[in-house]
Amino acid sequence: MFQADPNNFRELRTTSRPDIILRMTRNDDTGEVFVGSSDAKVYQVDPMVEQPEFLAMEGHTSYVMGLVDTGKYIVSGSYDKSLIWWNKETKQQVRRIEMAHDRWIRNLTTTPDNKFVLSVADDMVCKIWDAETGDLVRTLESHIKVTEHGFPNMLYAVAVSPDGKLIATVDRIAKIKLWDFETGEELKELEAPKCYTWDPKARIHSIGGIRSVTFSPDSTKVAVGGIGQIGNVDHLAAAGRVELFEVASGEKLHMFEGDDKHKGLVEQIIFHPSGKWLMAVGGDHGGWVQFLDVEKKEVVKQLKAPMHVHQMVVTSDFKMAFGVGHNRLAVWSFEPEEPMEEKTEEAAG
Amino acid sequence: MFDRKIGVDMSVNTDRRGFLSGATAAGLAASSMNLDILKAESLSNELKKSGKRVLLLWLAGGASQLETWDPKPGRLTGGPYQAIQTSLPGVQISELMPKMATRLHNTAIIRSLNTQIGDHGGGARLMHLGRRDEPNLKYPDMGSVLARELGRPDLQVPDYVSFYTATEGRGNAVGQPGFLGARYAPMFLTTDNKPANLSRLEDITDLDHKERADLRALLSNRFAKGRVSESLGSHNVAYGRVRGLMSSEKLFDLSDEPQKVKDRYGKSLFAQQALVARRLIEAGTPFVKVARAWWDSHGQNFETHLELVTELDHVMSTLLEDLEERGLLQDTLVVTLAEFGRTPTINASLGRDHFARAWSASLTGCGIKGGTVFGATDEDGQHVKDNEIGAAEMFATIYKAVGIDPHHEYFVGARPIPLVDPGTHAVDEVLA
Repeated sequence: MFQADPNNFRELRTTSRPDIILRMTRNDDTGEVFVGSSDAKVYQVDPMVEQPEFLAMEGHTSYVMGLVDTGKYIVSGSYDKSLIWWNKETKQQVRRIEMAHDRWIRNLTTTPDNKFVLSVADDMVCKIWDAETGDLVRTLESHIKVTEHGFPNMLYAVAVSPDGKLIATVDRIAKIKLWDFETGEELKELEAPKCYTWDPKARIHSIGGIRSVTFSPDSTKVAVGGIGQIGNVDHLAAAGRVELFEVASGEKLHMFEGDDKHKGLVEQIIFHPSGKWLMAVGGDHGGWVQFLDVEKKEVVKQLKAPMHVHQMVVTSDFKMAFGVGHNRLAVWSFEPEEPMEEKTEEAAG
Repeated sequence: MFDRKIGVDMSVNTDRRGFLSGATAAGLAASSMNLDILKAESLSNELKKSGKRVLLLWLAGGASQLETWDPKPGRLTGGPYQAIQTSLPGVQISELMPKMATRLHNTAIIRSLNTQIGDHGGGARLMHLGRRDEPNLKYPDMGSVLARELGRPDLQVPDYVSFYTATEGRGNAVGQPGFLGARYAPMFLTTDNKPANLSRLEDITDLDHKERADLRALLSNRFAKGRVSESLGSHNVAYGRVRGLMSSEKLFDLSDEPQKVKDRYGKSLFAQQALVARRLIEAGTPFVKVARAWWDSHGQNFETHLELVTELDHVMSTLLEDLEERGLLQDTLVVTLAEFGRTPTINASLGRDHFARAWSASLTGCGIKGGTVFGATDEDGQHVKDNEIGAAEMFATIYKAVGIDPHHEYFVGARPIPLVDPGTHAVDEVLA
């Protein structure tokens, strides 16, 4: 198998956009890529071509905040509170659940077998849907709806463990809930309080929250991402922060924090299949990609991205990565750059 | 200068002692400008008797017009929140304001402010004074003008109360009586919802206190005899209000407010201050400002506004309902205003930056033609499309709504100073 090396990670190309691309999904079998936008559209796009064409799929009326590929359908969720099942071939709506949630949908994921779609929203409910029929299978509800300071809580992200047994949901006030997938029982609550900044004095509101969550390939660890404590909550003025927990014990194993040149939110975390290192992407006014070594417990590499990255997908062979974000779509490679051909005397003139 | 011990900003007069020392200083200042604030006639005693009041909800730091009064659904500048239909046919506001959407019948929305100044300090000064600063003349702010014109000496209440608890931007929250003198300076509350040092000391009886005041007045009047001095006059007028101010202390104490009323407003600081403001308004205070800071959402605009607009929607709608139920709204003008709005363009931190070119405010209640929308911005909210107005027009409209002629003139020496810049017109379209 190809041995991806963070040191070889490099940007290949970017495509400019007028909108903010918030979500992305890629089918590893077919190579199909779909993205979700702030213009309320879902687009199919081939990021591998020099000048990608964006084929629009219209149906939502606000930001597309969740996008998954079930193999048969694309499913999207939006701030408009609806879920839409799309036919990948015709780009037409197959099903629309108008009020899938009472408040804004923040993210979607699927189970590893693609049989279920999970949605989270600011009604603080995680809903599990049958990916084929669209039937609501179960709701998971225990995140508080109003913070202790009287503000609405927000449910940002959801992940399912690779073994399909666990669900993790994360919220504004930096609570992490672990649920049993089969029973819907809440198993454990963890917290990463440094990811939530409440300013009681200067500005009297908050910033932050846990924005990303993922399980390790062996399902024994869960990583969450956000931003550290912020002095001035007007800005994303702290380094991105990832905290790693052991699922069984709930013990916090380590905290990773980037340097001052890489401030902002960790929007997504991706484990390498080996489980030895992971990628964190995000940003503030700019964007970045970080590589975190689980064994060394350190940030081993940080580099600027061409935009604040809202989502990234990596091919299963870990040769390529595709990212979307603020006004950009970008492509990166893990493959080592081929050495320049030596100039012949004739060519050198 | 911030005095941590007593928790007040001593640059303005908060407590009784500060009020008195400030009055003397301002009397001297007024004297040096040759304005006799004691002799100068107020607009009309009839106006004072009419019981008109103004309650300003100051959205410090700059609230976004797109997430409040002027949403742009379906545009890239519009952000994620949708627009919802209001009780007014054809009028939509942000879905973050569902409660206000059901009760716009007393409210006029102004969507066409272009105030040009995009920094906090400058913008806040402009939107407190209604005009740009002048080097040789210190203008009074809106609160001081309204305190002077609407305040009733027969009522035992402060004329101008200003709440600003957050520390960020507090220095921009201008409360200056300017050439009107410190008699019209705000009671500026920062760390506590109750004024500091307003209570009579426990070891002084009420009789004792009254006799001390009488003795002070006797000595002061003897000293003033045969002397002509505006500063002396200002000093004595300020002392004359002390016992009235002291008796108003209970207005700041919510312990005697029914629990169901407190529950209705909510537990947040902003909610509690709005409730105190209602009590002051009910008692006759002509101007109360409740500052809610800090809206400066350069990063994460939509999360910040989800928090702050949700709170504003609840507190404002509760306040308006309460005023209406008590029969106070017809004589109380409730204003939402800030130093500017926020950029339609969304930055990479999903924030919005300062934007003074096209933003919104609201006027509710006294003198307002409810259910109106004045002005419009273009489809992306980048420019005013119809009926552009500036700070002066906004101030003229506020003054006219409560019965004050915005072209009334004060005199500083021989120089006439109109309440608003010459040539300014009130927005009659929103006036009843």
